[in-house]
Amino acid sequence: MSTDILLGNEAIGLGLVEQECRVVTGYPGTPSSEILAGVIKYQKKFNRQIYTEWSTNEKVALEVALAATWVGLRAAVTMKQVGLNVAADPLFSAAYTGVKGGFLIIAADDPGPYSSQTEQDSRLMALTAKVPVFDPATPEEARVMVGHALALSEKYGQPVMLRPTTRLCHALQSMDLNGDFPENPIPKIKFKRDPARWTSTPKFRYYLHRELNQKLLDIEQEFAVSPLNFVVNADSPHKIGIIASGVAYNTALQALEHLGLSLPVLKIGTPYPLPRSLVREFLAGKDAVIVIEEPDACIEMQIPAETTLHGRGDGTVPGAGELTPEVVFTSLKGVLSEAGIQTPPSPADEALGALIQKLPLPVRRPRLCPGCGHRSAFFAMKRTFGPGAIYPGDIGCYTLGTNLRAVDTLVDMGASVSMAHGFYHANRIVGDKRPVIATIGDSTFLHSGIVPLINAVHTGARFVLVILDNHTTAMTGFQPTAANELLADGSDATYRVSLPEMARACGVGFVVETDPYEQESFSQILTGAYKYCQADDGGVAVVIANRPCTLYDPTPLQEYPIPVLITEECDGCRFCVEAFECPALVLASDRRRVDIDYNICVECGQCIDACYKGFIIPKY
Amino acid sequence: METKIILCGLGGQGVVFLTRLLAKTAIANGLPVMVSETHGMSQRGGSVISHLKISGNQAPLIPHGTADILIALETDEAVRNLPYLRSGGTAFVNAKNGLRSEVAGEVSRLALDIHCVPASQLAIELGAAAVANVVLAGFAAAHPKMPLSFETLQETLKNISKRGLELNLIALETGYHAKKEQETKV
Repeated sequence: MSTDILLGNEAIGLGLVEQECRVVTGYPGTPSSEILAGVIKYQKKFNRQIYTEWSTNEKVALEVALAATWVGLRAAVTMKQVGLNVAADPLFSAAYTGVKGGFLIIAADDPGPYSSQTEQDSRLMALTAKVPVFDPATPEEARVMVGHALALSEKYGQPVMLRPTTRLCHALQSMDLNGDFPENPIPKIKFKRDPARWTSTPKFRYYLHRELNQKLLDIEQEFAVSPLNFVVNADSPHKIGIIASGVAYNTALQALEHLGLSLPVLKIGTPYPLPRSLVREFLAGKDAVIVIEEPDACIEMQIPAETTLHGRGDGTVPGAGELTPEVVFTSLKGVLSEAGIQTPPSPADEALGALIQKLPLPVRRPRLCPGCGHRSAFFAMKRTFGPGAIYPGDIGCYTLGTNLRAVDTLVDMGASVSMAHGFYHANRIVGDKRPVIATIGDSTFLHSGIVPLINAVHTGARFVLVILDNHTTAMTGFQPTAANELLADGSDATYRVSLPEMARACGVGFVVETDPYEQESFSQILTGAYKYCQADDGGVAVVIANRPCTLYDPTPLQEYPIPVLITEECDGCRFCVEAFECPALVLASDRRRVDIDYNICVECGQCIDACYKGFIIPKY
Repeated sequence: METKIILCGLGGQGVVFLTRLLAKTAIANGLPVMVSETHGMSQRGGSVISHLKISGNQAPLIPHGTADILIALETDEAVRNLPYLRSGGTAFVNAKNGLRSEVAGEVSRLALDIHCVPASQLAIELGAAAVANVVLAGFAAAHPKMPLSFETLQETLKNISKRGLELNLIALETGYHAKKEQETKV
């Protein structure tokens, strides 16, 4: 036995290895990305036979893992909450068909949100799909819950969900590690035909649905006696109670510490199906109960309104944003003071907080890294088409192109292509002749960009699609894509998808691959691409901006460094700072010139083009 | 005894490494830890903050007004995160000239104990701006309020530095001596 600190996601990965999941798939997305890496880390450490993959998208990932469970193996799939939207189709279907081997769907929510386009609650998605949910409060509990969840999944033949949130995924907690533990032999099993289940027609789906409803009632009974649902401070004399789940449970306990109160707290580890008998028992005799959960009202909505219930419904808990210690403290204090219970003030010092609020502290918005090829591509795009174009964007680091005003729309994975397509047709109707220039990353293109590209070409749309190929899934920590030479576990890929060939196969008649660092020629290619869009026999043009992420692969930069300096003539016009927005270009404190922060400059030389007055020059 | 530490800076300054250095040192001393880190979009140059609880409760975040220690790799981020400190709390800041003057009144009213060191400058003198985080760790370790000793941090560095161990050890020592020198001057 040894102690180590594990990231919440690693703890989940360890749990999957300990519970002998044989197939684990996923698509990266903050905050879920390190779960699969955790599986691979402990698979290697304990030398286990586990198949892992970064799939092309979440729908594919879920289906790959589902097949393994139909063979009878234990399997899991990881994704972020919006990835669950992509995987919704097989999720809903699999809840009816059920599984043979245990199946754990891990969907990580992002209250805040910190790195997502929505604050949606995956527990409510699971509720709609009729999939039982486990909601861990700490990394250690998440690791343990993996075992509970897989056992339940196997017992009832149903897929189940583990739903961590950002603060758990990215928490580090010390915990005891098992030494090497024995591995059970691979069971003698194989896929068996079962038409009434695996190929069921609508009529059989009706029977499966009835069966599912009965199973959910049985599971609810089981949850009512599960050790994952329990009451703390049960003998408290207070008539006000708290129902809490996930990370917010510990935040609520912490708030009680500061309030100096020991209110009874019902900790819910299984929010769906909610063990209603347990909740009813807790509500009995209480004057009021407040529900503390994230990011939405999954538990609260399932509670029959017999007691005065406070939460998202009556506005006691805010309807949006993370449940920080301050938010939970204020929510609890509100309920207590309504009940006439005196409480101490918040530990936060109001005067200091107010002063800091008023100070002109710099707003640190995220920016593309120094040397990022996306910046060069965006800068050339803006130089070629200016503000008189429409720039549909997509999900990834390059969403930050909005800082360079080269991203006008952001919806979801792959939407840049379909939105560009939609703009083309809508613009034709309203008579808007502006060029439409869309951007999408390599991983996002493979995830959800190919299907809309086929659609756009087939229906005669005309726009320029710039595929920003940085050779990796950069934002989430450099996971390989289908265009990479490596697989998730570091072994060699069998085949690498070629992005230009893929675009041609979709029917695109203009495909050019080039290095955005060659800004002049990149700009000329963009002009050519747009000409193709306008030509009589033209259509969609694809330009592939090929430049590896400088963090993922700095070798091209190290081989050809171009150190620069800013001449004495610099007049501090700020054009480069605003239009190029490299973190290494900083306005001097007297604001009369721009300096280079050589501590972070990576000597890409790209900013030479960013000063049209010629004041940024090569050093040698 | 419970110690709550806020660590902050800008994306790319090594806040995450610094957090893990302290957390690993704590568990090597047999102390349980709970940490909350920043990942994802905000790592691209945005404000980065870690919450580190040693022997504390299991809630991931530290409430405003309760942190014992603030460790800041950048002065404006130090100021931004001052409200996390409890009255009488201690801050270790990478700064040449102290915190901006507007907060002086509040700092003295709340009896905040602010210690500044030009960690970036010292790191650059060592040949690598990137080790400013380790310089600051050494600086903090020389103060009695810090629950982790210089020697145990040294041991952790030896275990977790994949490359640049020698430089990291020198950086830690440089920070440590900078604090000791400040004390002898006083």
